[in-house]
Amino acid sequence: MKSRQWLAMAAASVLAIGVAACGSSNNDNAGSTGGGGGKSSGTADGAGSTFAAPIYQQWGSTLKGDGATINYQPVGSGAGIAQLTAGTVAFAGSDPPMKPEEISAAKKKGDPVHIPVAFGAITVSYNLSGVKSGLKLDGATIADIFLGKVKKWNDPEIAKLNPGTSLPSSNITVIHRSDESGTTKGFTDFLQSYSSEWKSKVGSDKTVKWPTGTGAKGNDGVAAAIKQTAGSIGYVEQAYALQNNFTTADVKNQSGKFVAPSLESTTAAGEGVKVPSNLQFTIINSPNPAAYPIASQTFLIVYKDDCKAGVLKKADAPALGTFLNYAVGQGQSVLGQLQYAKLPSAIQTKAQDAVKGLQCNGSPLGGSA
Amino acid sequence: MEARSLELRGGRSLLERSPLSGIGDKILRWVLTALAAGILALIAFFFIRLYVEAKPAFDRFGIFGFTFDNNWDVSRQIFGALPLVVGTLITSAVALLIGVPVAVGTALYVTEFAPRPIRAVLSFTIELLAAFPSVVLGLWGVYVLIPKLKPAEQWFSDTFSFLPFVGGPVAGPNYFIGGLLLAIMLIPIVTAISREVISTVPAEHKEAALALGATRWEMIKMAVLPYSRAGITGAAMLGLGRAIGETIAVTLVIGNAPQIGKQLFDQGYTLAAVIANEFGEAASDPVHRAALIAAGLVLFVLTLAVNAIARLLVNRGVHGRRATKEAAPA
Amino acid sequence: MTAMPVVSARRRRSDLVARGLLATAAIVALIPLVLVLFYLVKKGAGALSGTFFSSDPTGAFLGNQGGVKSAILGTIELVALATAIAVPLGVGVALYLTEYGRDKPFAKVVRYFVDVMTGVPSIVFGLFIYITLVLTGVSGTGFAGWKGSVALALLMLPVVTRASEVVLLLVPESLREAALALGAPRWRVVARVVLPTALPGIVTGTLLAVARAAGETAPLLFTSAIVNGTNFNLNERTNSLPIQIFNDITQPNNQLVERAWGAALTLVLMILLLTLVARLVSRRSRLT
Repeated sequence: MKSRQWLAMAAASVLAIGVAACGSSNNDNAGSTGGGGGKSSGTADGAGSTFAAPIYQQWGSTLKGDGATINYQPVGSGAGIAQLTAGTVAFAGSDPPMKPEEISAAKKKGDPVHIPVAFGAITVSYNLSGVKSGLKLDGATIADIFLGKVKKWNDPEIAKLNPGTSLPSSNITVIHRSDESGTTKGFTDFLQSYSSEWKSKVGSDKTVKWPTGTGAKGNDGVAAAIKQTAGSIGYVEQAYALQNNFTTADVKNQSGKFVAPSLESTTAAGEGVKVPSNLQFTIINSPNPAAYPIASQTFLIVYKDDCKAGVLKKADAPALGTFLNYAVGQGQSVLGQLQYAKLPSAIQTKAQDAVKGLQCNGSPLGGSA
Repeated sequence: MEARSLELRGGRSLLERSPLSGIGDKILRWVLTALAAGILALIAFFFIRLYVEAKPAFDRFGIFGFTFDNNWDVSRQIFGALPLVVGTLITSAVALLIGVPVAVGTALYVTEFAPRPIRAVLSFTIELLAAFPSVVLGLWGVYVLIPKLKPAEQWFSDTFSFLPFVGGPVAGPNYFIGGLLLAIMLIPIVTAISREVISTVPAEHKEAALALGATRWEMIKMAVLPYSRAGITGAAMLGLGRAIGETIAVTLVIGNAPQIGKQLFDQGYTLAAVIANEFGEAASDPVHRAALIAAGLVLFVLTLAVNAIARLLVNRGVHGRRATKEAAPA
Repeated sequence: MTAMPVVSARRRRSDLVARGLLATAAIVALIPLVLVLFYLVKKGAGALSGTFFSSDPTGAFLGNQGGVKSAILGTIELVALATAIAVPLGVGVALYLTEYGRDKPFAKVVRYFVDVMTGVPSIVFGLFIYITLVLTGVSGTGFAGWKGSVALALLMLPVVTRASEVVLLLVPESLREAALALGAPRWRVVARVVLPTALPGIVTGTLLAVARAAGETAPLLFTSAIVNGTNFNLNERTNSLPIQIFNDITQPNNQLVERAWGAALTLVLMILLLTLVARLVSRRSRLT
């Protein structure tokens, strides 16, 4: 027995030493010993929107070669803002712009600056055998479906918009999000601008009391539910619709046109939207005739002076600066591959100006362009 | 025996302990008591800290209002947790009803009936169930259980609709699947500990029963079960704890509808699931955040109540039967 | 020779029925295990490869996404530290309850609250540590690996305590009394007689707790966070398998999803290995 105990302890210590030795040879991955020189070195931590997570993680891995380490935690827009306010991250990702209460809470540390970085489409996906992509739906009809008033696929409301299509008489199963999300906020924003009943009964928020339907967690949960349930309809981000080969609806926009969700129609949603100087805008229900109406924006939010706010060390400023410059500059070219739409040039210029105005302890933030 | 041989130099008896060895005992007692007290202090601190964070929600809705109002509406900032409490109770009850008999039955089979060679392998394999991360079981539930069980659930619902709480359309994710997943999660715990307990029943008890002519099953009823009753209850408590507190797996398969479902196969919500679903976004909204922490606190109190009731039930049974000195106290 | 009492048909029947039911219970318990394992292997085996184990996740969405090395090492670190905290504390409290506390009111209260703690959702422990350790910036950093370990230790503690207590109580009083009668001091009795006798049971309880802790995501989300790169400084953010799985599995990228399943399979295999080793090392004859 005793010898067995010694054997176990010996094995454990060998394992521990092995693990430590294995790790120390890779130490250059952690911390601020940048490989690419001082221009971009450092570590910047961020958290927030799950919608934009693939973008930031992709950008972060590209910039690692320059010596910048970007850590991003996709915990939700609200959590990201909370962490920025609490001081545990240097930047936050959020789909909706900050609410007035959130801004006043953040003001204790500094002035929050919104930097738009990308747009994405929220598709209305359905699982209906025999019906191809492009079913025409408008805001009022979608609202009625999600209210539970329209229960069958061949309801006159849907048939009216799709005269040439034969619709089955099966029941509609509504799938919605059970967790809080900027995607839900965007979707419900759209619904309430076309349905006064939705506005008064349900409203628009990151999570609402859904009148009908099944709740699933995350875009992936909704996608799985749509995939498994014949006759279902739900809202998911473009990337998930593409991943699962969903059939998606063409939605009527403000100008009366039925538009399919695509990169072009999503970028178009950003054009023609009035953008205030503080860059806090949304592109839901854009007036542009070519726009897909259920498109959402996403921001990176930082303090005007992150270092003074205590969320960023001076040594890490180049990393954040490089990241932000890349976001509103070269990084835009990668968005298409990730299924996000890039900023229209007018907004991109405004975003670049906003980044140029950022500081660290009074001097410019730095980092390479 | 002569007294002389027990005497050491100086007249001390061999059986007398040196004064130093008393210190070891004192230290041990002191350290262990301090540990136990420390744990209590930690739990108290835990409770108080959470209460402080949850206070804004209790201030706005009142403690009873928060716990017993049937309206969880986040966008309107109304937080009444009754549907969550009910959901937690239903899924835990289903989990216990399914999981504990299976687990105890398995433990009995493994220790009493399984052929010797496969005994170790079998018990090891069951414990493997505990190795699955909860997110994996939840996803398996979503992709496999929900679609595969739906037809059977619908059949059950239609055939037995005369029973209370059964009947009506079957939602994909529902209370039953939540309870079933929880049962799967608590089986390894309850089995493993029950097995430990059952295997320590003294052979004399079992042999005595067999010698009286009892069949194997009767021997179990007479000798094994009464002896292990308290230990098995302890195991079931651990299983119950797991069921009440499980977060991620349940979130994925219960449908997350803040309503009190009318039947077993309806969607529902649990206290733990609401925290997992909403905490991310709620972090920046003080009232919502307080409401979620308050939900955690309600869960804590719920566990307190359930444990107290279970203890009462068990103690009433055990006190009558304690005969031998070696029976384990509750 | 006196004749053995005849076993009536009814009693024989109920014996057979009972055997059948118990065997069925065992099979029922095994079914989900087999199904889940099968599903896990089906979805995750494809991701396992040399690079899977030897390279860190790059964080990239397209192109080379890397493996999960930092997650594997991170899990080992975090769980090892959590076990080192929880097991001595848990066994210590269990010893107090069985040796000194017994039926005293104080012990009853401790036992009751430890039971209650098993029901606290893992996410609440994570939040508690977030509020008390992360936000306050203890030891100079926000998120840190060791804070995640503390959250995991809180999760493991009640399980270890309760399971150990159950087993320690089953050590026969006669064994203790014999040792005491031989003149051994109490602490010696505990160290040399009680603990070794109960060791297999304590190991069982510990393994259950470790399996639970290794697979939990929620406590780590708010405490140790994620980092794409091997990091041995537990005072900084540390990656771990559950977090890696949680992140990857929700992505709209089939390779990342497959990597997540591969990571899940790896985690299960790691726990399997640990259980095997621990059982072999602690094998002792049973009390009967």
